[in-house]
Amino acid sequence: MSKSVDPTTNSDRSSWRLEQIVDHFEAERSRNLRRGRLQQLFQILVVTLLLGGAFQASGLFSSYLGDGALGRIGNFLSRLLPQLHHDRLFEDRATSGSLLYWFYDLDLWLKLLAETVQIAIVATVLGAIFALPLSFLAARNLAPAVWVYWTVRRISELVRTLPDIILALILVAAFGLGPIPGVIALTLGTTASLTKLFAEANEAADMHQLEAVQSAGGNWWQQLRFGLMPQVLPNLASYSLLRLEINVGGAAALGIVGAGGIGVELSRAITFTEFDTYFAVLIMIVGLIFVLDLTSEAIRDRLTGLEKGA
Amino acid sequence: MTAGSDLIERATLIAPNSVYPPWINRFGRWICWVGGLILFGWMCHNLDLRLDVLARGFTKLGVLTKAMFPPFANGGELRIVQSLLDTFAMAVSGTVLGIIVALPLGIIGAKTVIRNPVIHFAVRRTLDILRGVPVLVWALVMISAFGLGPIAGVIALALADFPHLSKQFAEAIENSDTRPSQGILASGGNRIEAMRLGLLPQVVPVMASQSLYTLESNFRNAAILGVVGAGGIGFELEERIRIFAFDQVAWIVVAYVLSVTLLDWLSSQVRARLV
Repeated sequence: MSKSVDPTTNSDRSSWRLEQIVDHFEAERSRNLRRGRLQQLFQILVVTLLLGGAFQASGLFSSYLGDGALGRIGNFLSRLLPQLHHDRLFEDRATSGSLLYWFYDLDLWLKLLAETVQIAIVATVLGAIFALPLSFLAARNLAPAVWVYWTVRRISELVRTLPDIILALILVAAFGLGPIPGVIALTLGTTASLTKLFAEANEAADMHQLEAVQSAGGNWWQQLRFGLMPQVLPNLASYSLLRLEINVGGAAALGIVGAGGIGVELSRAITFTEFDTYFAVLIMIVGLIFVLDLTSEAIRDRLTGLEKGA
Repeated sequence: MTAGSDLIERATLIAPNSVYPPWINRFGRWICWVGGLILFGWMCHNLDLRLDVLARGFTKLGVLTKAMFPPFANGGELRIVQSLLDTFAMAVSGTVLGIIVALPLGIIGAKTVIRNPVIHFAVRRTLDILRGVPVLVWALVMISAFGLGPIAGVIALALADFPHLSKQFAEAIENSDTRPSQGILASGGNRIEAMRLGLLPQVVPVMASQSLYTLESNFRNAAILGVVGAGGIGFELEERIRIFAFDQVAWIVVAYVLSVTLLDWLSSQVRARLV
């Protein structure tokens, strides 16, 4: 904006007197400022209306919480915490106040936690297997035709707009309760998102290496295997691990709609208002995800380091 | 053929290990593949992922999919659009609440602002732990605390967002250039002025872009919160699935996908103008 009022760029204005230049500049500048302020005012108005409407619709303004809301939250939080007695902390699960009394169904929870991890792993592996060939079709530099590239991309976008939980909800209706709908829902989501990520890694690959394999007589498959794969594999592995982290969280939540894993226990604890149980299971989930994140982050750092070193 | 074998002979002389990898490598790789395959098969077995179960399920899924066509709202168009708007309202409110909580935490979590490593570490690690909680898990707790309704969903969204946002805000502040602030301090400005004029112009566009991105993901999250009773489109969807009205399910899914696409497009337009 300031460029258009710069008088020195206009040769026909070079004969102007200094006052004229200053006057012109000032006028232009105040006009710009006014316009900017009006625009700002309009934007603020729109955002305020949007926020006001949103708050109103979601019940943030209304006295929805009723009297003593803080007290109720406090009460709820205290029910979330277990009743532990410091002198009985390490007694067996029959003694009220011990840690094992709090984690009373530890064996089952560990089993369900293992199931959650297995759902996540199986879904990630299957998703990566499906995504790999699709990613060749969805990469602009490898796709056999533009329409193939376009179709695969659009379909993967479409699937990605549907949250795993909604997919799982529909799949539970078809497959019944249990881990299978969870695995399929996560596999679908993983396939769609990994197709995109893998395709982007493929597009960033150096095509000269594929051409080198081709000129040495390699066919299409050999070009991918020896020209492309060594370049992109560390990236693909790193993306898959990242997706595994996401899937563990997803698998933990899927149980809430009946798709297997630890979420089933969460949902049961809430239904029976066992809030301390809920908290115990929550601690286990959070711990699992935390440990997994750290491990996977360390591996991913090594993988991308390998790629840079190569 | 002879030329080929000649080539291989020469290659073997130059780099024997790349032509014929040492047997220990080949054996190790083979073991890894077989071990991985056995492990994967064992997991599939544990999850009861059998072909006949899958075949039965997919047959039923085919029947359900057939029932989805043609999508039919059964006169509930207005209600569905209304609930989509409610879901959007939940997403906006949740994002705003999340931003309000994340702003101070982001500033505290930035290495360049709070130089005390203990505070920095404590804030970052706490956020890391909280980030592990899926939004649906928060929602279950909040619904039992606040009762059924969108307010529980809003708070769950905010709780799930603020750890992510805080981390991103902290990184935006850390990645900003400190020289403008130093310049303002050097020319006589105080710390507040240095922040307002040196730091904010750099980080606000980044933060706004991340907040918009959060809004996009919150619209998706808000949709699933309805499933556990926070109202909105998820509730409508769950209800229709429960009564096996799959033509209405299809209508809702199509409307939902269209609105997600619209929101993503709008948000990407605004983000492109911001950065």
